[in-house]
Formats: sequence, structure tokens, C-alpha cells
Amino acid sequence: MTEIKRSHAETIQRSLSKRYRAEKRFRAYGMMAIALGLLCVALLFVDIIGKGHKAFLETSIQVDVTYDAEVLGITDLQNKQQVALADFQGLVKKALQKKFPDVSKRKEKRELFSLISSGAGYELRERLLRHPELMGQTETLWLIADDDVDTYYKSIGSKGGAFTGRTSELRQGWIDQLEQEGAIKLGFNTTFFTSGDSREPEQAGIWGAAMGSLFTLVVTLTLSFPIGVSAAVYLEEFAPKNRWTDLIEVNINNLAAVPSIIFGLLGLAIFINFFQVPRSVPLVGGLVLTLMTLPTIIISSRAAIKAVPPSIREAAIGVGASPMQVVLHHVLPLAMPGMLTGAIIGMAQALGETAPLLMIGMVAFIVDIPGGFTDPATVLPVQIFLWADSPERAFIEKTSAAIMVLLAFLIMMNTLAVVLRKKLERRW
Amino acid sequence: MVSKLVTDTATMLEKKATAKQTGPDAMDYPEQAIGEPFVKNPKMSMRNVDVFYGDKQAIYNVNVDIGQNEVIAMIGPSGCGKSTFLRSINRMNDTVESCRVHGELSLDGEDIYAAKMDPVALRARVGMVFQKPNPFPKSIYDNVSYGPRLHGLASRRAELDEIVENSLRRAGLWEEVKDRLDQPGTGLSGGQQQRLCIARAIAISPEVILMDEPCSALDPIATAKIEELIAELSENYTIAIVTHSMQQAARVSRRTAYFHLGHLVEVNDTEKVFTAPEHALTEAYITGRFG
Ligand SMILES: Nc1ncnc2c1ncn2[C@@H]1O[C@H](COP(=O)(O)OP(=O)(O)OP(=O)(O)O)[C@@H](O)[C@H]1O
Ligand SMILES: [Mg+2]
Repeated sequence: MTEIKRSHAETIQRSLSKRYRAEKRFRAYGMMAIALGLLCVALLFVDIIGKGHKAFLETSIQVDVTYDAEVLGITDLQNKQQVALADFQGLVKKALQKKFPDVSKRKEKRELFSLISSGAGYELRERLLRHPELMGQTETLWLIADDDVDTYYKSIGSKGGAFTGRTSELRQGWIDQLEQEGAIKLGFNTTFFTSGDSREPEQAGIWGAAMGSLFTLVVTLTLSFPIGVSAAVYLEEFAPKNRWTDLIEVNINNLAAVPSIIFGLLGLAIFINFFQVPRSVPLVGGLVLTLMTLPTIIISSRAAIKAVPPSIREAAIGVGASPMQVVLHHVLPLAMPGMLTGAIIGMAQALGETAPLLMIGMVAFIVDIPGGFTDPATVLPVQIFLWADSPERAFIEKTSAAIMVLLAFLIMMNTLAVVLRKKLERRW
Repeated sequence: MVSKLVTDTATMLEKKATAKQTGPDAMDYPEQAIGEPFVKNPKMSMRNVDVFYGDKQAIYNVNVDIGQNEVIAMIGPSGCGKSTFLRSINRMNDTVESCRVHGELSLDGEDIYAAKMDPVALRARVGMVFQKPNPFPKSIYDNVSYGPRLHGLASRRAELDEIVENSLRRAGLWEEVKDRLDQPGTGLSGGQQQRLCIARAIAISPEVILMDEPCSALDPIATAKIEELIAELSENYTIAIVTHSMQQAARVSRRTAYFHLGHLVEVNDTEKVFTAPEHALTEAYITGRFG
């Protein structure tokens, strides 16, 4: 008897060490997988931040601007038409001319004038309209530089030498001169965060796309969350379990795997062609993304509802709660963290979605910042797609910067999901 | 041991002949529960009750009454259908998709399964305490006040407080939780949770209370408290209690019903069941030959 016992113990001992080895091996695989994942993420971040961080800075040039009524061709500042037609860029040209008086050839002049962005004129107009008393005065201003200048100036001192590109030696000389005078500097790029898209990289910003994304997501969330949750509650709590509901379940799961561009086509056919919703607007984008995120939200909500212990339902029914009260008082509060997590992940997915939006015209070049659900708009990922496609060198860093902004939003939303879950989660 | 009520002797005896050698088995069920399944003033009466889970039958032709203000104990081996029968009485089984109940069940003469009977209203009159304690993941106060609030039993906060205190007191839990009514009910010990569930059930003052092994998670002291509570409640309420403890059945109930594999075998005065069971299966069970 003791013999047998000892041999059992030995067998167990031997198998134990084998089990521990297997466990160690398994843990190593897991760690390797995670390390690989982290490495990829790190590479992505290093690459994007490396390329994009400079987009948060912009080059500006200091000049003395004289608000000369003659150059502007304005006799009366109240006259809207005069102001609209006024040549504010002329003020910039005058100022540059004053800074570099030796430049006289026409061709050289053209190069000189393009040191400063064509957007500077608008800035001056805004300024003069706000402070009419400046008329006739001279003031020293930092004006935003042209994108070629910006690219060149930022690349000075970088490895592999400065990127000259379209910056001629003549301009390089002027820039050096400005540098010595301390009349050129890098500052925080507010334009990038406050303006819409533009053909000129130095005037292009993501605010328009961000607002477009916001409006689109608001539509998506207000539609998909209530609809998704109601559908999940109905399917889980009220629907009879028969072949029809099985069929619906299978189809919902299938929809979650349908390529998103199909939803774009569907939206084009239904919302735009049939219901005549205007194209390119956040409303239709939100509708399409609602279709796309609904399966995700329904599936995660159903999982959350399923996780509510049946004993809680029985307890509520047992004291005389109606089925609706059981759902409202017990099931929904307990399932809410899971549902919210699902919704936020669905929203994050919607925020990063491009393909279906291309189908419904949200890929248009839109300068104005959308002010509502029916203003033409584009969204962040589409903006990234558009910039990545642009030939100007300066758009490379804009693209990366926009990706960074998008990633920041995604990380924020996912963190919110985790925090919400932690906060609302209850143990039972 | 020959049943008094068995009339169909020919077939019954034939079955018994084969059954005798192998001991009690499925052949041995009386057509009708033997003993005294019926009472003069029934609070609830069940006639020809069959319960199915899908194709599987869990309860076979059960006929029994539950008298006004009586405590009836239901005993029987595990899986014999005690919980199923109990859950049929207040239509808890409606929530089980595959479950079908046939037969006539009535409360105060009203058909429980009639179309016009609202199951929600029924469950307010026939309360239930479950086999496993299942407090809501809410505060102790909210657990007890949930039912009264649902049915609008208290118009003012003070009234609600009173109901909560009373219910907790009667469930023997008040002293332990009076200082932490706002803490989660799920944070209590298993036995305390079960008493909380009892408090929750009696807070809506049901006419009938169904208890499915209410003491299976309790220590002897808490059990004694519950038994005391049952004795006290039986003055005003009708109680059906499922229990695995024969001592408990003997202590709290007036009549005892013995179930075996879905059949109601014997219903008799508790004392009689435990001292002089009429049916062989009952005897086998109470003498501990199976269970
Ligand atoms: N939801 C269900 N679906 C299918 N079969 C069920 C279901 N609930 C119970 N049953 C079956 O019905 C029979 C009776 O079960 P029940 O729970 O009523 O037994 P019980 O007498 O309460 O047992 P215990 O003493 O262990 O609680 C068992 O055979 C069980 O397998
Ligand atoms: Mg049971």
C-alpha cells in the first residue's frame, strides 16, 4: 500500500515539473506576443511623432507693416465692398520691399514676396477691421511664412543638410539674413488647430475636420446607442427564442464583419439617392457610421446583458417587478458599464473610419469650418487621407500631426471606456 | 405496505410485484397522493398539475391543497421537482422558456394561470425566497424597500423606514445591519444574505410565502431564527417550505408532502409522516435509505 502511494507521489512529482515547464513556456509565448505588439506600437509612435512633431511649430517673419490707405485702395473702412477688394497682400509686399530694398528685378521680387504666406493678407485685414485706428500707422508684426520657407527653415541643421526643395539660393540668403537680424522664428502653430483645410500647407488646419468628426460622431452616438441598446434588450429579455431570432442573431454577427465600404454604398443608395439627404454632410456620415457601429454595440450590449446573473432577475420578478421594471431597475444598471464600453469602442471605430465616408462625398475639399449637421464637412481620417495625397512637402508633417491628433482622441476615448467601466462596475 | 387509496389494485399489484425485489422505483407511485392531500379551507389548491421542461416531464399529476395559514413542508430527494412545483405556484416558471404547466392551480379560488390573472400581481401576493440567496447589488435598505416601493405600499419615507425595520427585525437581521443600511447587501455573509432575502420577501406582506430551502446556507442559530420567524408568520400567512432537513420540516410544518421523481407520493400530518409513513417510498426516504 505504501509502495503504491510513494510511486503515485513520484508520478505526480514528475508530471508536476512538466506542468510547470509548460506553464513557463506558455507565459513566455504570451510575453513575446505582447512585446511584439508593444514594439510595433512604439515604432508607429516614433515614426509618426518624429515626422509630425514639427507641424506643431510654424515659422513666422517679422516685418514693419504700414497700413497705407493708398496701397489698400480704401477710402472708407465701413465700406464693405472696398474692404473686400482691398489689396492687403500689397501691404505685405511693401513691408518686405522695405526690409530688402536692394531687390529690384521683377523675378527676384516675386520670390521675395513669396517669403510670406498669401494668408498673411487676411490676417492684416482682420486686424485692421478690429482696430480701425491703425489706419495710416506702422507696426511691427510677426507674419506667417510660406510653406517652402517653413520647410527649409525647420530643416536647417538637421541630419543630411537642410531641405532646400523649391527654396532658391536667393531666398536662402534672405532667410539667413533674417535669421541674423532675429526677424525669423519658430512659434507654436495655432493655425493648425484653428483653421480648416487649405491648398496652402501653412494655412491648413485640422479644426474643420475635427468639427466634422465631432458632428458626425454626435449623430452616430445619439442614434446607435439607444437603438443598439434597445435592440439588445429586446433580443435578450423579451424576444422569444425561435428560428427567427436565431436568424436575426446570425445576421447581426455577420453585419459586424461586413467591410465598412459596403455600408458607404448602402448609405449612398438609401440616404442620398432615396431619402435625398444632402451629400458630404455630417448627418449622412453619422447615419452611415450608425449602420456600421450598430452591430458592434448590439453584440457588446447583449454580452453585457447576458452577464447579469439570472438570480437577480428572479429576485426582482419574485417581489413582483414587471418585466420592464426588471430591465430598467436591475438589468440595465448592471449591464451599463459593458454597454458603455461597447459604445465607446464602437465610437472609436467610427472615428477612425474612412472608407464608407468616401462613398458619400465626405472626401471633398472643404475650407469652411462646419457649423452644423448639414454643413459640408470632412472628418479627421479623411483629412489625413487627403493630406497624405497632397504633393507639397509640408503636408507630410501635417499628415503625421493629424494622425497624432486622431490617435490622441482614440486613446482618450479608450481611456474613458476603461475609466467608466472601473467606475460603474459593481460586484455581485 | 399497501396504499389505502389505490383502487386500481390489479395493475398496481402487478407493478408492485416486480418492484418489490428491486426496492422502491418508478412503478411504485400511487395514482393519487396518499394521506390527506386536501383540506377544508384551502388557500391554494392544485389539481392535476403536470410540469414539463421541453419534452421532459418534471411533475406528474400532482393534486394537493395548501390550507389557510398553514405551514406545509415539501420534502424529497434532490431533483424530484420540489423547486419546480414551488415555482409553478407563483408562475416563476413563466420565465423559463421551455417550461409548460398544465392543470388547475388556484389562489383563493382564482385560477392562477387564467388569462386575466396578472403574474406580476400574483407574485406580489405569493412571495418567494430562493434556494440561493440573491440580494440585489444595492444597499441593504434598497433591497428591502424595493418591493414596497414598487407596489406603492408606503407613501412617506418614514413609513418605508418602518417597513424596512420591521421586515429586517422579523427576519432576525436588524441588530446586525441597523448601522449599515446603506451598505451593499451583497457584502453580507451568506446566511445574512438569505435573511435579507427573507426580509425582502416579507416586506411586501404577501398572502403566501414560498420558501425554497431558505436555511440551506444558514448556521443553526440563524436557522433557529428563521424557524421562529416561520412560526410567527404562520399566524397571518400561508407558507410552503421546501427543505432537505427533516428535523426542520418536523419543527415548522403542520403537514408534510413527500415528492419522488416528480410524483407526489404522500401528504400527511407532519408527525404522521415522520413516525408512521404510509407509503414505502416515504418510509425509505425518512429512514435515510436514499436521498
Ligand atoms: N430550467 C430547467 N430546464 C430543464 N430542466 C429542469 C430545469 N429546472 C429543473 N429541471 C429538471 O427538473 C427536475 C426537477 O428539478 P427541481 O429543481 O425542481 O428539483 P428539486 O427537487 O428542487 O431538487 P433540489 O432539492 O436539488 O433543489 C430535475 O430533473 C431537473 O433536472
Ligand atoms: Mg430545488
